[in-house]
Amino acid sequence: MNVTRRQFLQRTGAATAGALLGPGLFAHPLVRSAMADTIGDRYFIVLFLDGGNDGQNTVIPRSNGSANLRTLYDGYRRTGGGGIAVPAAALAATAIGNCPGTGAQLGLHPGLAGFGGRPGVGGLKALYDAGKVAVIQGCGYPDYSLSHEESRVIWQTGNPLGVPGLTGTGWGGRHLAHPAYGYGGTQVPAVTIGSSVAPELRQSGTSVLAIDRLEDFGFPYDYDFDDDTATKREAFRRLHQDLAAGDALPSKAYLGASGHATLVSSESYPQLHDLYQADRASWSAQYDGLDRSTGYDLREIAKIIYGSAQGVPNIGARFFALANGGYDTHSDQGAAQPTGQHFGLLAEIGAAIKIFYDDVASMGLAHKVCLLVWSEFARRIPQNDNGTDHGSQGPMFVVGGSVNGGVYGNHPDIANLDWNENTVYRQAPGPHRSTDFRDVYGTILTRWVNMPPAAVAADILPVDTEGPASDYWQTANFNLGFLP
Amino acid sequence: MVNEGATLGAAAARHLLRRTGFGALARDVSRYTGLSRGAAADRLVGFKAKAFKPGGSYFEQAHDKWVTYILKAKFPLMEKLALFWHDHFAVAIAKVIDVKRMGLYVGLLHQHCNGNLKTFVKAMNKDAAMMEFLDTVRNDKGIPNENYARELQELFTLGVYDLAGQPNYTQADIVQIARAFTGWTYDGSNKPRFDDYRHDYAAEFPERGPKTLFAGRPGFPAGGASFASPEGATEIDQVVDVLFQHTDSQGKNTVARRTAYRLCEYFAHPQPSLAFVDQIVAHSGFDVSFDIRRLVRSLLCHDEFYASAAGPPYTEASRKSVRWPIDYVVGTLRILGLKPRGRYQVIQGGSYRRVFDHLGNMGQTLMDPPSVFGWDWETSWVSSSTLLARYNFARDIIMARWGGGALKTDRLVNTGLTDPGAIVDAVTDLFGVRDQLSPAERQVFVDYLTENGTVPSIDLRNWDVRNTKLNGLFALVMQSPAYQLH
Repeated sequence: MNVTRRQFLQRTGAATAGALLGPGLFAHPLVRSAMADTIGDRYFIVLFLDGGNDGQNTVIPRSNGSANLRTLYDGYRRTGGGGIAVPAAALAATAIGNCPGTGAQLGLHPGLAGFGGRPGVGGLKALYDAGKVAVIQGCGYPDYSLSHEESRVIWQTGNPLGVPGLTGTGWGGRHLAHPAYGYGGTQVPAVTIGSSVAPELRQSGTSVLAIDRLEDFGFPYDYDFDDDTATKREAFRRLHQDLAAGDALPSKAYLGASGHATLVSSESYPQLHDLYQADRASWSAQYDGLDRSTGYDLREIAKIIYGSAQGVPNIGARFFALANGGYDTHSDQGAAQPTGQHFGLLAEIGAAIKIFYDDVASMGLAHKVCLLVWSEFARRIPQNDNGTDHGSQGPMFVVGGSVNGGVYGNHPDIANLDWNENTVYRQAPGPHRSTDFRDVYGTILTRWVNMPPAAVAADILPVDTEGPASDYWQTANFNLGFLP
Repeated sequence: MVNEGATLGAAAARHLLRRTGFGALARDVSRYTGLSRGAAADRLVGFKAKAFKPGGSYFEQAHDKWVTYILKAKFPLMEKLALFWHDHFAVAIAKVIDVKRMGLYVGLLHQHCNGNLKTFVKAMNKDAAMMEFLDTVRNDKGIPNENYARELQELFTLGVYDLAGQPNYTQADIVQIARAFTGWTYDGSNKPRFDDYRHDYAAEFPERGPKTLFAGRPGFPAGGASFASPEGATEIDQVVDVLFQHTDSQGKNTVARRTAYRLCEYFAHPQPSLAFVDQIVAHSGFDVSFDIRRLVRSLLCHDEFYASAAGPPYTEASRKSVRWPIDYVVGTLRILGLKPRGRYQVIQGGSYRRVFDHLGNMGQTLMDPPSVFGWDWETSWVSSSTLLARYNFARDIIMARWGGGALKTDRLVNTGLTDPGAIVDAVTDLFGVRDQLSPAERQVFVDYLTENGTVPSIDLRNWDVRNTKLNGLFALVMQSPAYQLH
């Protein structure tokens, strides 16, 4: 049994605790909703599909349109043993809008409708039909990298050219640490659900929590000697807050800030679990029925959002990150059958997102929540033996009550593969123009997080100034239309 | 500079033992103090590698066997190196599944840990667990799988970019290597096997033929380095031979420089200078011999390695490295003379949480790194989740006073001490961080013992005082920023 914040308050009295915590920590985050240029009382979540999700089998052509897409698709992907082609007929139930560039009819992989007979059935497809999902095709960057590590870092830092000033920090992290529009040193504006801080939230100033499960998050005092707990706490706080803040050794200052954030949050966050379980038990059970890590991780975010909206003090998180692994489907990828590997991966996120959306909708907060789904690359257009190798541009999803649902961006140009049999990033206007993933981030930062476009362009996602102008991203478009 | 003759003081000896082992015990520090750097390094690297293979009927059992092996290690540096190579040639049970196969892989990590790197890479090419993990077994004639070919260059030998930021290879090189590796698999006893009929591939290459690497690269023939027959084992060994001839944009051996750089990051600090790297390569002749033992010996004789021994006030030269979870856990257990007990290998007395779970919560399950890149080091080890796991471990350690008397603080600290400052010095000495604390940090520990000066003297003979304050101090030291670094 840990000494939790509740027990601590009972023993020491709230006034003492307040004095220890310091005034900055009690600045209620909702106060920010009255201020311009912040995310206010809204929430942003980023979900990473780790390993390179097969985009070509995620948003699939059902007809040819003006670019022969379905016929080409059938040429690249086989049916029968080891084949991964999803037949056009299997896509009728998951049809979405047409490809803006080619007019081809599109369908989502059937897995995105969720697992049959489990909670969240209907999945992402049901949310699409309700107008809550933007499908953004063909997202990527010029001169794509086929290395998981390199491409993941490019997406997380928003920095394809390796501009030195942008390395080492995430695109979201740069917002969190922004001197004018970000957060101060004692605030905890973001939470990663997982054991380490998501690189897209990485930064230098404020604290980003990494929490696996809220209920396990309590500070471990020696429970035989309660009388000594306040003294222990104060010594710990001084070591981590007072001393580390002034330490010239960066790693030690970093450890200190993280240790202090851990202490304070270990006192405020666990109660969110209890609150949610008490008030929303039937919702919690829905995620249980899904029995998948992404669902469980999204439930932790739902707990924080619920508690935050209920006004629980010391909860300031507005940004969240989580990841789902297993997308590196070099082998045994499967086609449309529910036992297939890729089906299982997509069904997991489709169903989990559906339950999560319904959960926050029933809190009355669907219009305050925006979820972005991305992967470090898509996969090779022709299949290999029974899977796919690393590829280039792929789709992103943006989900939320305020999202303008529909299909955005063009399908990758699968008629003209490069020598490596991947699609090429196309800068030129036309039916195959690609979407720079930074435009998606920029749209979120300007239209959801409320940062002025000029500040985003200057400090978060500067346009490329290196390389031949025709190849690179020279004009930011921070209004792709999927957010109001 | 590599300086073999410099004499080790106690602080330098403690630093050397911390970095090459798991926690520095006082008796070892005194044995190494006064030795020359060269003599001390010889003692440490001079072990004969033993191919330790953790086995068991289930994964946690094999994992615990490895942890116990590290805890009891006669040559801690062998384990430090095996862990380095585990991270370098990362393979995870999550994909391999088979415990025995993982054990054989860990055996290779041990067997070659201070041997010849080229031989090591050639052995890794044919390791069954590796073949599963990076899809060599799924790399077939006609339908290639480039996974292993890519990582062989990116992670095991060259790196995507050299230390000057220039690319080391192209996608064409990956394709050529993938061709050479087609047809490899393993048999029922995990021995490598070459299936000739699955070998070589692609419409452009209807006939088997030579593979060509690094066309147009300085240091290689204009058309690239070609190698051909015989196909099979000779061919994939030739791939490695060519990779080890690769020179970077500054004309230095790429494999030697990159490997040395990573070892400097691992043993010294996260931003080693290029001079450090190049000097130890030159001194050891690693770019010719690829003898790991000699490279590590040169590293352990270099000034820049010892510069990071210094305590506060810190400078650029005295950068610290965040301890890996395995180092934090095993180092603490060694210092306190504790060992996990029972079938489930728990620290008895506290939560009875398994050491396996403690390590997993800190972000490091052995034999299950998170990806092909191994673990992220340094501040990536640090988050509220992983720090909380370290704090939980610290609490379980002090609760081990109930675990059949396993933690005997009265045998670790002289209970005759009454001066709070002297008690703090004794405890921080025990944990090896006394010389890493600023005066202000030391004062926090003193204030904790004295309730901000209101209790000037501590009676450690009193059971209650000892268990409250001495155990409390133990926990605070284990939770302090300084103890997370080394």
